[in-house]
Amino acid sequence: MRRGPTMKPRVVVAMSGGVDSSVAAALLREDGYDVVGVAMRLSADNAHPSAGARRACCSYEDFEDARRVAERMDFPFYVVDMRDDFARTVIDPFVGDYLAGRTPNPCLACNRWIKFDRLRRRAEALGANYIATGHYARIERSAHGRFRLRRALDRQKDQSYFLFTLEQEELARTLFPLGAMTKNEVRAKARTLGLANADKPESQEICFVSENGGSYRDFVSRHADPAKIKPGRIVDTNGAMLGLHDGIHRFTIGQRRGLGVTRPTPLYVREIRPQSAEVVVSEREALGDRGLLASKVSLTDPSRASAHAMAVEVKIRYRHPLIPATLTLMENGTAAVRFATHQPAVTPGQACVFYLGDEVLGGGIIEAPLRE
Amino acid sequence: MEIYLDWNAGAPLRPEARRALDEFLGNGAGNPASVHRSGQRARRAFEQARAQVATLIDAAVRQIVFTSGGTEANNLAIFGAVKARNGRRKIISSMIEHSSILGPLKALEQEGFTVHRVAPDANGRIATDQVVAELDESTALVTLGLANSETGAIQDLAPLAQPVRQAGALLHVDAAQAAGRMSLSATRLGCDLMTVSGHKLGALAGIGALYIRDEHLINPLMCGGPQERGLRPGTPNILGAVTMGAAAQTVGSRLSEEINHMSYLTERLRSRLWASIPGMLLNGPLFARIPNTLNLTFPSARGESLLIALDLEGVRVSMGSACAAGAVEPSHVLLAMGRSRRQAHSSLRLSLGPQLTLEQVERAAAIIVRVWRRVSEAEAPNEEARG
Repeated sequence: MRRGPTMKPRVVVAMSGGVDSSVAAALLREDGYDVVGVAMRLSADNAHPSAGARRACCSYEDFEDARRVAERMDFPFYVVDMRDDFARTVIDPFVGDYLAGRTPNPCLACNRWIKFDRLRRRAEALGANYIATGHYARIERSAHGRFRLRRALDRQKDQSYFLFTLEQEELARTLFPLGAMTKNEVRAKARTLGLANADKPESQEICFVSENGGSYRDFVSRHADPAKIKPGRIVDTNGAMLGLHDGIHRFTIGQRRGLGVTRPTPLYVREIRPQSAEVVVSEREALGDRGLLASKVSLTDPSRASAHAMAVEVKIRYRHPLIPATLTLMENGTAAVRFATHQPAVTPGQACVFYLGDEVLGGGIIEAPLRE
Repeated sequence: MEIYLDWNAGAPLRPEARRALDEFLGNGAGNPASVHRSGQRARRAFEQARAQVATLIDAAVRQIVFTSGGTEANNLAIFGAVKARNGRRKIISSMIEHSSILGPLKALEQEGFTVHRVAPDANGRIATDQVVAELDESTALVTLGLANSETGAIQDLAPLAQPVRQAGALLHVDAAQAAGRMSLSATRLGCDLMTVSGHKLGALAGIGALYIRDEHLINPLMCGGPQERGLRPGTPNILGAVTMGAAAQTVGSRLSEEINHMSYLTERLRSRLWASIPGMLLNGPLFARIPNTLNLTFPSARGESLLIALDLEGVRVSMGSACAAGAVEPSHVLLAMGRSRRQAHSSLRLSLGPQLTLEQVERAAAIIVRVWRRVSEAEAPNEEARG
């Protein structure tokens, strides 16, 4: 049987069928872990060969790719049904946020609730001590036995931004085998192991939105209660009406295209006012905020919280450089972040993640920009 | 060590079937349709297999047509019958049938046929008077499973034979799960068509048979060869048939012995689990059930997690049916019996076989209890902490 006396602990690896999670699983298997591969069925009809969802994540083809890796590396593999959990914890809040004029990041919700909560509990049910994913991030144990979440060595691929909600309990039971590798190294490893998906293109879009080739706007329109779609006015910063729109969910902060308003100089979305359904636009010069207010703040190690303002760096979108800032933690899981220099397009609904050097201190969800 | 409790999905090859296969292969190849001696030898083995299958279900040799399995036999029965009953556009069945019956019925519905699906009672049994009440001069076919693959419920179909024939319709009985688990007589049952699956009996997969009371009752689905009286043209799966014949003969010769053994093991497993898992439910009738099948609802645990966790411990069980990608779907049979989606999601099918030992079953019971405790502990807090 597979479980010899020297077998390392059981680990459930979340497999998408992509090269990253495949190599993560393969590395753990080579390392002697008792690997159990799990692919999650997340949205309605993607698990049938006829679904035609070739580019989307977790399609039938992707499950087959993951299954082939498991066969090649000789570990058990299962597809689990997480559709109900995914609808409740990811899709519903995603639609709700857009309808409220915010720009959510569903990958954050998916990591927090699906991978590191629901899947972790399912892994416990399977007798697994750990779960692992193909994320590019590192977990290290400090001299004091505390766990630190760090950026990946490959800065281009670093995905620590999506993982800031992990706390000590989760970090202690999570493995990121790719944290010290570059994407090229991962692909090379996949080729060495003869994995068929070594050169599979990366998924780019939000998995459940791109599966029908539509945009997130159409997705929200399709899934929203029609009574909650808010058409309204497009106004300038003085309140003068420039046009009409058919729903605030069609806009995000900093958006330039598709405003339906033509001016000699380009206009950008400056603010979305859900109460009045107004979309405020302005020219580029006016864009720039002093800082932001965040809610639902969590820290990877709460013992490092300080009552004083802390000098940190922050990321206010995934593909954004680190910005020097001061962080002030406040009551009820809120925080104020002041940037060293003004920043454009602070977007409610996105995450603001706090870094100290390489380390992720934590983060929160952007509620509002600070403008004074 | 593996403990296989999924015999309703497929049984391991019986030693007698393997011996028959070895013996046949040792004598060289041959196509039973060929005129030469090799062909004659193959035909002899093939016809012997047909006789063995006929004996198992108390039929005449010429009433047995070999197919590629239970699914093809069900398709041949259903499509073949409605083709032959030209003009009759109604079919009566139930909500708890195997997908190889539900699928053809859905296809016929799309062609304009009327399909009436009788609902089972809470124990998964079909009331025959509900079927009789639906019979009329437009009815082409009544198609029902004799033993349900998921709950093991046995249906009392004999009372249907007379009224169905009087209405001018055909009675098809899917006995794929019944063969080898109860005494079968196509003649006494009075049906027109009966499906038997090879690998559920311990033959190779890829072979099955359809009993056809009279060859003129149905039309073939394929054309192009004289084999099987033209009802199933094409070179037959002779290797499969040889194993099915041997398996059928073995089953027939010790049926009561095997039924007693399986009943004992199944009841032992049920009582062991019953004693240690408070709130466990048995889905299906307590008595009118084939002796190897237990469908159980486990409190506060996902069936999917139990299935995977048990697999990792070497115990093979099943749940509902799997989608193309291998994810499990809740059982349509349990839903039709009035179980909630939640209950259906928390249910497993354990199906036993004649080669299991008491020691294996005791060990399986201990593992299932241990795994259920772990899974229910890990998954119990599922309802708090919502996103």
